[in-house]
Amino acid sequence: MPGVVGAFHELDAAVQAIEELKKKRLGEVTVYTPTPRHEIEHAIGAGPSPVRLYTLFGGLAGATCGYWIAIWTSDYWPLVVGGKPIASWVPYTIFGFEVMVLFGALSTVVGLFINSRIPRLTMTVGYDPRFSGSDYGIWVDCSPSNCPVVESVLRDSGAVEVRNER
Amino acid sequence: MATMAPPLGEHDEILRRPNIASADVQLPAVKDYEQVDREISATLHPTVAWFIGLGTAIFFLLLGISAWCYQIYSGLGVAGYNPPVMWGVYIITFVFWVGIGHAGTLISAILYLFRAGFRTTIYRCAEAMTVFAVMTAGLFPILHLGRPWKFFWLIPYPNWRYIWPQFKSPLIWDVFAILTYLTVSSTFLFVGLIPDIAVLRDRETNPVRKRILSVLSLGWRNSDREWRHFARAYLFLAAFSTPLVLSVHSVVSFDFAMSLVPGWHTTVFAPYFVAGAIYSGIGMVLTIIIPLRRFFGLKHYVTLNHLDAAAKLALFTSMVVSCAYMEEWFVAWFSGSEFEKAFFANRIWGQWWWASAILYTCNMVLPLTLFSQKLRRNTVWLFIISITINIGMWFERFVIVVPSLSHEFEPWQWTSYRPTWVDYAILAGSFGWFSMWFLLFIKQLPVIAISEVKEILPPKLRRRHDHGIDSTGHHLDFEPSTPGEYD
Repeated sequence: MPGVVGAFHELDAAVQAIEELKKKRLGEVTVYTPTPRHEIEHAIGAGPSPVRLYTLFGGLAGATCGYWIAIWTSDYWPLVVGGKPIASWVPYTIFGFEVMVLFGALSTVVGLFINSRIPRLTMTVGYDPRFSGSDYGIWVDCSPSNCPVVESVLRDSGAVEVRNER
Repeated sequence: MATMAPPLGEHDEILRRPNIASADVQLPAVKDYEQVDREISATLHPTVAWFIGLGTAIFFLLLGISAWCYQIYSGLGVAGYNPPVMWGVYIITFVFWVGIGHAGTLISAILYLFRAGFRTTIYRCAEAMTVFAVMTAGLFPILHLGRPWKFFWLIPYPNWRYIWPQFKSPLIWDVFAILTYLTVSSTFLFVGLIPDIAVLRDRETNPVRKRILSVLSLGWRNSDREWRHFARAYLFLAAFSTPLVLSVHSVVSFDFAMSLVPGWHTTVFAPYFVAGAIYSGIGMVLTIIIPLRRFFGLKHYVTLNHLDAAAKLALFTSMVVSCAYMEEWFVAWFSGSEFEKAFFANRIWGQWWWASAILYTCNMVLPLTLFSQKLRRNTVWLFIISITINIGMWFERFVIVVPSLSHEFEPWQWTSYRPTWVDYAILAGSFGWFSMWFLLFIKQLPVIAISEVKEILPPKLRRRHDHGIDSTGHHLDFEPSTPGEYD
């Protein structure tokens, strides 16, 4: 996909460019920022992250698995002591809790990886190493006909460098 | 070469009012993102002092390994066990290292949820410390086994005639808790490191190292999509880690509290162990971070405000454990149990008076000096206190383990315990193992979180206007809708 990337030294310039690009609907905007900033988040206006669902279902699966393994193994080879129930839910809560945390945490990481599309073997077009340092980058996926308009928006907003990539 | 902080005179304002809520999130001597990248990357270059430290750590590790080989060859009898005192230095040191491992997750997760700004520059160090401390702790149950090659019998699978481990046993609870904690804290550390590894990748010029960093950074690009999901995932990991911290040492305490042995059979053990673990962990963080900020020239990142806040946390937790000690004495008296009374008399005034004296001096008395702000901001004193915290907490576990076993119900069982050179060598080896991993870590990966430090710095803007951080550590937006903002 062809597109245009602009590099910005200043945060407010990058935010202005994002707002302009969103207003003009010139293509999908991706912002590269050395550190997460509320200003950029507000300008992009993305919805809530679905990672929370991975956490929820991972945690529920973990709690179920933790209780299940303890109860199933007790039933598999029952040792009756003092006529008490085979499955003792009070100590088994430790397994339910620990495995819930384990599965919940790992599924959160899986959710992060899937939604962020990492691990990524190659750097996609539009990325520049300076975006992990101190500069902000804006990559716009746009049709060739829109590229000149995007370039002009980026330059007018204060981009220090604008270039076409594909 | 790292840029040092300007003379103190320029920060008089900050120093004069160190207790204001936002002081601990400000880094007045760090000006921009480039400075952060430059100075923190500079800490990765090995120095002569680092090689000496690593050599010393490996020497102690080899000492410990040699002693362990001797123990495997000769049997556990060389380790100073004296029936019925069959838990000794290994279990004491196991609990000690698990406790050390608690501060990392406390600082990185609990303080993150509470928006405590002072965590920003010390949490990476604390997280790494956690992982290596738990790795160290995990060795001790194996060292404690007569046949260590059978250690995998503790792992829950049907190891013999389809019999599974006993799920009602605290030892199995321990296996689950420690392995979960090790996995989650390692994951938490690695996830937090991904953006910083990407910074190193983009600055690296050596092609081999760049390739390794590219793999480790998982192709992270700092895109808004990645940050959005990262922030959410980090929050949930913190939310999971918080109860996990509290549960792990509670479960370790059940190893003792589930028995009927005098001094162990008490319901206060779970909160008592957790508070003690956090206290010892903060002590170890201070022991590590104070020399680190000096040798790496990071005094303007880990400021006196940060140390001051950590010292307050140490003071608070020392007072919690002091309450637990006093509660133990009270319950021994109030319970009316002759066994408990006799045991506590023996622990405090009897054969173990010297260990109790060290414990109470280090954990109850000396930390009270941290009420003085002047001493909290004196790094030499703080370092000394951090060492005494480590010593005191090791002796706390000694006083829990040994006096109880040596003074149980039957007087004919009463005995003594004296560690041998094998115990001491393996104890020293554990410090060597821990230090070796930590020293290797600090020269491969950033010891201060680059992206989080950047978060608390004011961003570069076209026009100068007020931008800051409020008392809870949140950014104050620059209000892009303000009329004239872009004029």
